Amino acid sequence: MTTDIAATQEKIKNYIVQTSHADAEKIKNESLIFKEGFFDSMGFIMLITFLEEEFGIKTQDSDLIEENFESINAITEFIQRKKAA
Amino acid sequence: MPAGKAFSKDIILFDNVNKVVDNIVEQLRADVLQRFKRHGAVVGISGGIDSSVCLALAAKAFGPDKVLGIMLPEKDSSPDSEMLARELAARYGVKAIKEEITGALTGFGCYERRDEAVKRVFPEYDPKTWKMKIGIRQSGLFNNIPPIFYLTVIDPAGNEKDKILPANEYLQIVAASNFKQRTRMSMLYYQAEALHYCVVGTPNKHEQEQGFFVKYGDGAGDVMPIGNLYKTQVYQLAEFLGVPKGIIERTPTTDTYSAEQTQEEFFYQLPFNLMDRFWYGFENGYPASEVASVMNETTDRVEALFRNFERKRKTTEYLRMPPIRDYYYG
Repeated sequence: MTTDIAATQEKIKNYIVQTSHADAEKIKNESLIFKEGFFDSMGFIMLITFLEEEFGIKTQDSDLIEENFESINAITEFIQRKKAA
Repeated sequence: MPAGKAFSKDIILFDNVNKVVDNIVEQLRADVLQRFKRHGAVVGISGGIDSSVCLALAAKAFGPDKVLGIMLPEKDSSPDSEMLARELAARYGVKAIKEEITGALTGFGCYERRDEAVKRVFPEYDPKTWKMKIGIRQSGLFNNIPPIFYLTVIDPAGNEKDKILPANEYLQIVAASNFKQRTRMSMLYYQAEALHYCVVGTPNKHEQEQGFFVKYGDGAGDVMPIGNLYKTQVYQLAEFLGVPKGIIERTPTTDTYSAEQTQEEFFYQLPFNLMDRFWYGFENGYPASEVASVMNETTDRVEALFRNFERKRKTTEYLRMPPIRDYYYG
């Protein structure tokens, strides 16, 4: 499970670095990716599409809250919950 | 920040509208006639408040016989738009012509490309009888994640369905729809050049600063007389200039998709009377706590709103920028 979490975090981080062109060193698992400006609204739309395709989850209206997407940690927990459901 | 001026709900209202109009008119004459050496102006008229105020200002600046109002409908346009635009032109004694752009848009594949993306999300969508629009459902303005766009389709019986719009389909629908604004601007420049006139751009302050326009489409033009005015101020000018009531009372729509859609639903997420005041507080450096107290909001929410405004302004810089050529000086 720990390996799963670490792998998920790594995939999300790689995606963020690749699409935001930000310095990988600056993006931590707890960084607030929207508040700190790594992503704009187009970035959010693309992130959701990436998560759905990469992790086979389906995002519902009620999922679109800050607590699920604010950081790599939050997204990882969100994916784990979705997969467990 | 205006020195010593406490934030209030009335802070954005003009005390002397007559003087504001005179200043704009004088500047329009200086820019168009003296600086650009053009003989008049064309204005694309949609029956909306912004283009109506621009036409009224142009008529005052150059005289009605030196202004051409151009209606640019296409098959998804509301029939009200043409009726209101004609009433407007008649009110100011300005000649109005109609240029139908559906044929040009069909040639570009605007509808076909858009509908292809819609059908990838809703295979049952039939563009001949169904309507569609994209919009924002929840307001993300008061939290730290951006809003998500939804695609809504409406069948002939009026039943609505919506889904979160995936990235590729969102981009294709927007890119295809942007042919509309760019085709309109091409036609405005044709007419302007044929008369040796300028093109009056009609965006207001919010459209400019929040990036609610199409680059080289409705974001183009030679002069933008209301480009620094809040929507509330545009309404003040409309009343002063005698814009027809039907236009003043009309809810601002995008008039872009086949289904009716307000600008608030598509983009702004806040009614204009609130958006104007919050944006004024933000851009003039008023503390979130002071704005919150006047607007009956919490400081946390206003701080989140200000961060959102900042992000919006930053992420839409690309739209406002002319091509960058500062790479190498030979």
